[in-house]
Amino acid sequence: MSVGATIVFSLVLLLAIVGGAAVLTWFERRLLGIWQDRYGPNRLGPFGILQVLADMLKLLTKHDWVPPFSDKVVFIFAPTAIVVAMMLGFAVVPFSPELYILDINIGLLFFLGMTSLAVYSVLLGGLASNNKYALLGGLRSAAQMVSYEVFMGLSLMGVVMLTGSFSLRDIVEAQRDGWYCIPQALGLYVFIIAGIAESHRLPFDLPEAEHELTAGFHTEYGGMKFTMFMLGEYCGLILLSCMITTLFFGGWLGPVLPPIVWFCLKTFFFICFFILLRAAIPRPRYDQLMSLGWKVMLPLTLINLVATGAIALWMQGA
Amino acid sequence: MQTAAAIKNNEMPDALLNQSGEALGVAQVTADHTPTYWVAAKDLHQVMRGLKPQFPMLYDLFGIDERHRTQRPGQPAADFSVVYHLLSFTDKGDIRIKVALIEPGSVPTLVDLWPAANWYEREAWDMFGIIFDGHPNLRRILLPPLWEGHALRKEHPARATEMEPFAMSEELLDAEQEALLFKPEEWGMARESDETEFMFLNLGPNHPSVHGVFRIALQLDGEVVVDAVPDIGYHHRGAEKMGERQTWHSYIPYTDRIDYLGGVMNNLPYVMAIEQMAGIEVPDRAKVIRIMLSELFRISSHLVFYGTFAQDVGQMSPVFYMFADRERLFGIIEAITGGRMHPAWFRIGGVAQDLPVGWDRMVREFIDAMPARLDHYDKMAMQNSILKQRTVGIGKYNTREAIEWGVTGPGLRATGMEWDLRKARPYGGYDQFDFEVPTAQGGDCYDRAVVRIEEIRQSLKIIRQCVDNMPEGPYKSEHRLTTPPPKDRTLQDIETLIHHFLNVSWGPVIPAGESACMVEATKGLNSYHLVSDGGTTSYRTRIRTPSFPHLQMIPLISRGLMIPDLIAIIASIDFVMADVDR
Amino acid sequence: MIPFLFYMAAAIALVSTVLALTRSNAAHALIYLIISLLAVAVVFFLLGAPFAAALEIVIYAGAIMVLFVFVIMMLNLGEEGDQRERGWLEPGVWIVPAILAAALMIETVAVISMTEGMTSGEMVSAKAVGIKLFGPYVLAVEIASMLLLAGLVGAYHVGRRLSERRRGGIS
Repeated sequence: MSVGATIVFSLVLLLAIVGGAAVLTWFERRLLGIWQDRYGPNRLGPFGILQVLADMLKLLTKHDWVPPFSDKVVFIFAPTAIVVAMMLGFAVVPFSPELYILDINIGLLFFLGMTSLAVYSVLLGGLASNNKYALLGGLRSAAQMVSYEVFMGLSLMGVVMLTGSFSLRDIVEAQRDGWYCIPQALGLYVFIIAGIAESHRLPFDLPEAEHELTAGFHTEYGGMKFTMFMLGEYCGLILLSCMITTLFFGGWLGPVLPPIVWFCLKTFFFICFFILLRAAIPRPRYDQLMSLGWKVMLPLTLINLVATGAIALWMQGA
Repeated sequence: MQTAAAIKNNEMPDALLNQSGEALGVAQVTADHTPTYWVAAKDLHQVMRGLKPQFPMLYDLFGIDERHRTQRPGQPAADFSVVYHLLSFTDKGDIRIKVALIEPGSVPTLVDLWPAANWYEREAWDMFGIIFDGHPNLRRILLPPLWEGHALRKEHPARATEMEPFAMSEELLDAEQEALLFKPEEWGMARESDETEFMFLNLGPNHPSVHGVFRIALQLDGEVVVDAVPDIGYHHRGAEKMGERQTWHSYIPYTDRIDYLGGVMNNLPYVMAIEQMAGIEVPDRAKVIRIMLSELFRISSHLVFYGTFAQDVGQMSPVFYMFADRERLFGIIEAITGGRMHPAWFRIGGVAQDLPVGWDRMVREFIDAMPARLDHYDKMAMQNSILKQRTVGIGKYNTREAIEWGVTGPGLRATGMEWDLRKARPYGGYDQFDFEVPTAQGGDCYDRAVVRIEEIRQSLKIIRQCVDNMPEGPYKSEHRLTTPPPKDRTLQDIETLIHHFLNVSWGPVIPAGESACMVEATKGLNSYHLVSDGGTTSYRTRIRTPSFPHLQMIPLISRGLMIPDLIAIIASIDFVMADVDR
Repeated sequence: MIPFLFYMAAAIALVSTVLALTRSNAAHALIYLIISLLAVAVVFFLLGAPFAAALEIVIYAGAIMVLFVFVIMMLNLGEEGDQRERGWLEPGVWIVPAILAAALMIETVAVISMTEGMTSGEMVSAKAVGIKLFGPYVLAVEIASMLLLAGLVGAYHVGRRLSERRRGGIS
């Protein structure tokens, strides 16, 4: 793509993601409604979709309050970090053979780097609020995210080994003969769990944990700044679904339909899957989550890594 | 009816005799036939220690302002009295001990015998200014820290119009805020240990998981709860004081709002206590209707528990299913009573109306559909492994601890004690029904939920029996104190007309006496202790609610656990703050 | 274009490092340090070492600094901590280290200016790094891994004793 086309595509993508995240808030509520034997927002516009607009108006016009006892600069900086990091993460996603912003040879590492930077948002938000609930939420998130980052990274190394490249386009191309969700089933499992932990959504929403910490790290946030956190969370959800599609389900590959359609369909499926998880599973306790990570996830990823390496070498030899 | 002499001669427990065999107590006859003895303050501790093996639970403790009471035949002179209600789980029944106090009086504390006495004594101090010698921390519990006076004393105004207009000045606001600040030293807590500085966290009074306005001040080491101080009183509305100015009849709607999830279940102990004093025999149809509605409300309350329990351990969906069921149930309640959460539908001597045409079809539809749905919920919530991890073994206590702390209802049965008032001492016609008392063995959060869920099934069973065997006949007693009296003959003879007019305008005059009635309410044992001075209003209305002692136990079972465990414990206790604060 | 980006990133790294040193509020200092690390990552990338750049972000900025912030949250410093930090910014405290650091910097600049060309002009890929690590430097890698294992076991031991004592004290 030329520079001009890339810039245009970036802008379009940016709009699509923000719009998608906004629509996702409505979509999630409707979907949850169906699964929970109720309606969800269905009053405003066709199927209630204008609810998105109403919510946005409400959030935008709310009093933009910065608590006097907070660390003001950090307090304002925190919510932007997650949005920026998540948006940047989309730069390396190959939506189709032609549609992508960056194709760098460390694309996968770039994605991991961006998700690890998103942690700061939660952490600094919790620290700057100068509120005990926020602090507890921040502490939880620090431990949770640092741990799960490890498994998240390691779980993807099997895919890298099979492909021999960190480039996401190469990874998709390498799946022409078969999606990695089968040889890398263990990796996929760990990646999904670590991904939810990273995006701190229910069942792993311990940094927020409404029933325990009122709203955790964003207890003091409201209005636009709260919206940023929400936007970041939904962007993270979309990004995660994009990555699962790319890494394990053959990205844009698929018969008959154009590649971009395949990509969107697969991503959409995983978004629904994550919403279903949210509806179905209770929240484990903080120490249980940590021991699940270190005692189950870590051995699993290591086994996966060693086995994949061995098989890859054996295949090479044969 | 037993006479005072009969009680004295035959049934005086050994604990009430001193070494030389003389009686330490003076017997009093009450309408509920509970053996009641007046004991001197100096003998109290000894008597109670002697009674404890037979009557292991301090069921209730409260004060009465006796100064304006005119009809107290044979009772020692007193300005105030302190009433101790002890419960035995054998067929011995209960015993009531009273201590007469001449102002300014004091009684020895019983905290060393029953830890549950702590909050009850604070309440009695708060409401009457009765001093309990040796109490570890005698401070206000229900009223705000800066409240002046003791609210249940007769000289304390009952209405805002009897007081100066209230104004909240800046200074007062600051002072009140300052008084609400949690000071660990007041509770004997250290601010730091050798290793760490503790964090003090106010959980509540407004917090998503405390089910109302309830504050727990937590001493935290990281997320580990070192100690906790439950702080109640934010939902206090003076329900007991209101009982002293509402007529016997017009107080019924207030009872609905005590355990606001229990609906008409709250009316039951109140109207039964009055019926005992008035000697009203309730017709069978009214009894069965009462039982059916009470059990419907038990299901409703347990459904709310079930949903919020799952929600508080972080499961998002179940609560919607359970509230949908509760909505169906409210449809039935509405068709029968016209109300939903607070129908106030029981009356002195019966119920407000007969059942509407077609009621049985609605009820049958509901009870037919419920078991399958409960199975579904079981799969969704109770068998979920994360939910089990979060609740099994958390917040454990054993039967002995439960009795020491005054725990009743499902919380007691979850420790393996098969004791349900409906079976042990059937009231209001429960002896006619076939049902089981579900128990569990562990006494942890999960077991408390298991017991409640099984109780839903048992309630369905009881309701089915009600529907199948609903007796014909009047829904209200013919007794002259029945309120409002039957109206069909009022326009034909003057006697009935006068009665009707007086009972409706002034309200009924209940004969002087004392009576308490206990029921197995949704959350545990609930009782109303009523004192009539022969007037149209109650002289003293004491409401003993199950949630009050349950909350007192929170520190004991949450020490050393984490905040999420505390939330699970709170959810598993199943309380509503209105039931605690009254 | 590339030199411009390089110098800009380098300048950001320098400025934010200085700011990180001079902040009295620990949280602010850490934010500048994180920015500095990110700028260094950009420098690495521009120098043709994208793998090192990615690791800089994932490990230093993304994990180690998170733990730093974590510690700060645990310490609950507040105004008192700020005061102490300000005390350390007195010239008497930093003048000697500053002189030593300046001497070191002059030496570094001299060494760099003597060598021809800072980079080989080749991209250092992940594969190249891996081959180097498990080829000539395999002994160092193994020793480092043993050291880390020892550290892990030690941390576990200390942590376990603390939690056991805590549990014992409560029940």
